[in-house]
Amino acid sequence: MVQDGEVVSDRAAKVWGWIAAAHEDDGPVSVAAVCKAAALKLGVDGASVTVMSGLLVGAPLFASDELSTLLEELQFTAGEGPGAEEFWLGAPVLIGDLQSAAARWPGFVPEAVAAGAQAMFALPLQAGAIRVGVLSLYRKVPGPLSAGELADVLVFADIALQLLLDASAGISGSPTYLPLDTLSERRAVVYQATGMISVQLGVSLAEALARLRAHAFASSAALGDIAGEVVSRRLRFDPGGGTDP
Amino acid sequence: MLRGAPQGSAGRYPGTMAATVDERLAQTFVELADTLVGGFDLMEFLHMLAERCVELLEVDAAGLLLADARGTLQLVAASTEQARVVELFQIQNDEGPCLDSYRTGQPVIVPDMAAAEAAARWPRFATAAREMGFVAVHAIPMRLRDQVIGTMNLFGTAPDELDPAVARAARALVDIATIGILQERATREHELVAGQLQVALNSRVIIEQAKGILAERLRVTPDQAFLMLRDYSRNNNHPLTLLAGDVISGTSGLIASSQARLRPRARSERAGR
Repeated sequence: MVQDGEVVSDRAAKVWGWIAAAHEDDGPVSVAAVCKAAALKLGVDGASVTVMSGLLVGAPLFASDELSTLLEELQFTAGEGPGAEEFWLGAPVLIGDLQSAAARWPGFVPEAVAAGAQAMFALPLQAGAIRVGVLSLYRKVPGPLSAGELADVLVFADIALQLLLDASAGISGSPTYLPLDTLSERRAVVYQATGMISVQLGVSLAEALARLRAHAFASSAALGDIAGEVVSRRLRFDPGGGTDP
Repeated sequence: MLRGAPQGSAGRYPGTMAATVDERLAQTFVELADTLVGGFDLMEFLHMLAERCVELLEVDAAGLLLADARGTLQLVAASTEQARVVELFQIQNDEGPCLDSYRTGQPVIVPDMAAAEAAARWPRFATAAREMGFVAVHAIPMRLRDQVIGTMNLFGTAPDELDPAVARAARALVDIATIGILQERATREHELVAGQLQVALNSRVIIEQAKGILAERLRVTPDQAFLMLRDYSRNNNHPLTLLAGDVISGTSGLIASSQARLRPRARSERAGR
C-alpha cells in the first residue's frame, strides 16, 4: 500500500539498493544480481529469470541457485508450471502451496515438490504487449507472499524488465546506468511513442522501447521528454522517413 | 452477478418510491457488508459500488480508480462506457479532477466543466468530458486517515453543485468501500488485488501502444487514434483491450478500414506539403 508517488520511489530506491549491493563484479549490473537480491530479500529460497527468445542479452536464463535452474528446466520440459502460463495482460501466478496445484500442472508439480519446492511465484516481465521474460521465485516451505513482499516483487519485476531491455540496447553497461530514472514512467506518452517508433523502424514493440530508452540515456534526457518529442512529431527514429508508404 | 439480488431497482427496494435516500443507503450498506464476508470478489464489489452510486446519489455515471502497488491509478470500475472513457482519459493524460483528488486527498467538486476556471485547470480533460456528455464531475478520495487508496468519481450530464445530503451519502459509501478494500488487502486477498491491478495496468499500456501504432500508420494524433479504437470497438462489439492487441499483432481490420476512409485527406495533405 502506498500513499503517493514518494512512497513508491522509496520502495524502488530500496529495491535498487538491494540489487546494487548484491552485484559483486566490476561488470554491468545484470539480471543475475536481481535474482540474487530477490532470493536474499523476499523471504524466498531462490529466484530465476527466463528471457524470451529474440531478446539478445547473452543468456536465456539467470538463476540464484541450482534448484531455481532445475525448476525452470522442469517447466520447460513439461511445458507447464507457474512460469509457463500464458500471462495474458500480466497477472502474476502466485502459488503459496505448490502441492495444492498438482491437478493444474500434473506434469510439473510432483517433480518440483520432490525436488524441494513448496511454493512458487511467477511474474511476467511485461508492459502491455511487450513481454521479455518471467521472474520466478520459490520457497522450500509453503506460504504466500505478504502484501509488502508482493509490492517489492512487483518492483523487482519492473527493474528486471528494464534491465533486459537496456541490456539488449547495450546501455546497461555504463557506470552511470540506473534503471530507476524511468521506473515510474508508465506514462501514456512513453507507450504511444513506443508504438510509433515500432512502425517507423519496422521492429517489435520491445525493440522500439529499448531504442527509445537508449536514445534518452545517450542524450541524458528524461524518457518522458524524448517520448513527447516523438509523439509531437519533432523527433523521428528513421531519419529521412516520414513519407507515407 | 449480485448474490440473491433481484434485477431492477424496483425489485431491489420494495416500495422504492416511498423509500428515502437514507433507507436505500442503509439497504446498500447491508448489501455491501454482505459481500465483505465469504467469497469476496473485489471487482464485483467495486462494480456494485459504482452502480449503487448512480442509483443512490442521482448522478448519471460513476467510476472508481484504485492505486496499484506502485501508486499508479488504475481504472477498476465504471457504470457506463462514457465514464470508462473519461476515466481512462484522465489516467492517460495525467490530468483531471480525479487525479487531483487522489494526490491531495481532498474532494474535488466541479459543478460545471464548461466554466472558465475548470477549463483552465484541466484544458484537455474538460474537452474530453464534454465530448462524452459530462458537465459536472465530482471526485471523492477513498481515504482512511493519511492513506489514500483511490477515488470515487461521479459524473453528471447537467451542471450540478452536489447537494450536501448527497455529498454526505457519497462520503458514507466511499468510507465503507475504503474500509472493505483495506481489510481485504490486509488479509488473504492482496494477491488477487495485485493481480487485478496488474491486469488493469497492462490493459492501459496495451491501448497506448496501439494508439501509437495507429497514430504513426494513419497520421493522426494519439487522441484521434483512441477515438478510432473506441468507435471500432463499439461498432464491432469487440472489447477495447482485445482490439488493441489485434492492432499490435497486425490482425485487426481497423487500420485497413480507416485507411480507406482517411485516404482522400492524406492525399490532399501531401499535395499541400
